[in-house]
Amino acid sequence: MIRCDEVTKIFRKNGSEVTSLDRFTAEVAEGEFVAVRGPSGCGKTTLLLTLGGMQRPSAGSVQLGGRDLYALSPAERAGLRSSEIGFVFQMFHLVPYLDLLGNVLLACPGKPSAEVRRRAGRLLDELGLAGRASHRPGELSAGERQRLAVARALLNRPKLILADEPTGNLDPENAAEVIRHLAEFHRGGGTVVLVTHGASADTHADRTLRLDQGQLKS
Amino acid sequence: MSVWLHILREMGFRKLNALFLLLGLAMAVTVVIASQLLAEADERETRRVTRDMGFNLRLIPVKTDLGQFYRDGFSRHAMDVSMLDRLATQLTNNVSFNHLVGSLRREYTINGQDILLVGLSDTYVAPGQGKKKMGFEIEKGTIHIGSQVALVQEKKKNDTMHVGVRRFAVANDPIETGTPDDITIFARLEDAQSVLGLAGKINEIEAIDCLCLTADQDPLAILRKEIGGILPEVQVVQQRTLADARAKQRQTREKVNQFVLPSVLVAGAIWVALLAVFNVRDRRQEIGILRALGKGGGRIAVLFLGKAALLGLVAALIGAALGTWAVLEFGPSLFPVTKKAIQANWPLAAQLIVATPVFAALASFIPAMLAVSHDPAETLRED
Repeated sequence: MIRCDEVTKIFRKNGSEVTSLDRFTAEVAEGEFVAVRGPSGCGKTTLLLTLGGMQRPSAGSVQLGGRDLYALSPAERAGLRSSEIGFVFQMFHLVPYLDLLGNVLLACPGKPSAEVRRRAGRLLDELGLAGRASHRPGELSAGERQRLAVARALLNRPKLILADEPTGNLDPENAAEVIRHLAEFHRGGGTVVLVTHGASADTHADRTLRLDQGQLKS
Repeated sequence: MSVWLHILREMGFRKLNALFLLLGLAMAVTVVIASQLLAEADERETRRVTRDMGFNLRLIPVKTDLGQFYRDGFSRHAMDVSMLDRLATQLTNNVSFNHLVGSLRREYTINGQDILLVGLSDTYVAPGQGKKKMGFEIEKGTIHIGSQVALVQEKKKNDTMHVGVRRFAVANDPIETGTPDDITIFARLEDAQSVLGLAGKINEIEAIDCLCLTADQDPLAILRKEIGGILPEVQVVQQRTLADARAKQRQTREKVNQFVLPSVLVAGAIWVALLAVFNVRDRRQEIGILRALGKGGGRIAVLFLGKAALLGLVAALIGAALGTWAVLEFGPSLFPVTKKAIQANWPLAAQLIVATPVFAALASFIPAMLAVSHDPAETLRED
């Protein structure tokens, strides 16, 4: 599903260089649940954004389903993200002025059909947000917001979910709930790459990679 | 979700940004439409005021001794009235003079009172300009008399009065002007020619110069060249103080009008661009997530440009209505002389309704491009 070859990402800040990913090489098989653990600032988010086609690496290549992600045009990468990848972020990144249904439907490319709207409603239902479709994200608790972000990530039936510290802002109960939904997606055949500095996801993950100063440690 | 619904929801959420954008654009449209309507009114008013200042060009026979002319106030030489016709045939929009009146002026004595008798022809104006005639029209069989004439001859409006062997009705209420008009009798040209025994003759052609150049720009040289080319038999005298005042008045108005419109456009563009920049900054995370969800740069640009265009359209409707109302309401007190001519300019309003959304979108273009080119990874990493 995903193959990273010697992926290096160097940021230039105030005249100095910071290596965020250092010759990172790994593979994630289709249907696998991989947890990437490491301390803050070890390059986890950079890795996730690079895997999602959001950040071009300074060196190395990323293949997704056999396609070199960064050989694609920006429009092709955007299309790929829309159809095959779902993102879940620690800070939720919801659109504050859209209601819950609007936030979920935002993932839909083009005008959502009646079927897509029904599916969005079902997802809200499954994630315990039924009856709140017309509320705005600002009216939700942190746990509810993250569940909403998961619903949005699932709308297009992606093959891959990239989750960046999705439980970082949640209490243990809500964190477990979010991980449970990701695990359910995995059980349905989906691939999950979850980056975290905690151990909460280890029980669900098939494999855990450890990242330290941009390098793979195990 | 349709892009327009998306835009409307965002405007509803960031009400202040939308409100300030709307107010700024509406104010700009109001000022543009009001200033344009006022400029039109101002131009009409200026034309009237400067026209009412009187003629500033006097064309007199070339043989006239200027010493005698300035001492007596008229030329003792006469010229054929056909010269007036010759000059009048040259009146077009391309010449530097307009409002031609032929006159015959001579001293005259009535019942022992020395007066000035002035015969005035019809006024000739350049065709197609719709200009009203200057001064007063003298009806056939009537005369207009000055206040001193009225006093000494004991005449008032509607009285009859003999001038030579001819009898006329006094058509005016004589009022004191403090000028030679107080000892003048104005008659139709043919009547004055008849009384003076100078049939077919005039001794002056009065006109207004249309150059509107101030004295330092030497309009007289241009006028002398132009008129001399048509009528070599006349010499051109310009009442420079009057001409200068008229030119300054019109130039000042034109400068003000030239300043207002560009200033409003620049201020409006800066206002829209600044608000769009703030909006882009506010929405960096949203842009990041839209990118992550696979939305292209076009969709993101449309969110910003569409917002500006939509608000521009509403602002244009508000501004056009407000500006028109303000001018119709307050314009007449600003321009009392031409108040009846103050009207709504619907074609201009329609143009603004089309142009304002385009203008607003153009002013938001750079901020929208900033949004499109913004690195989404940077925002999404800012946790």
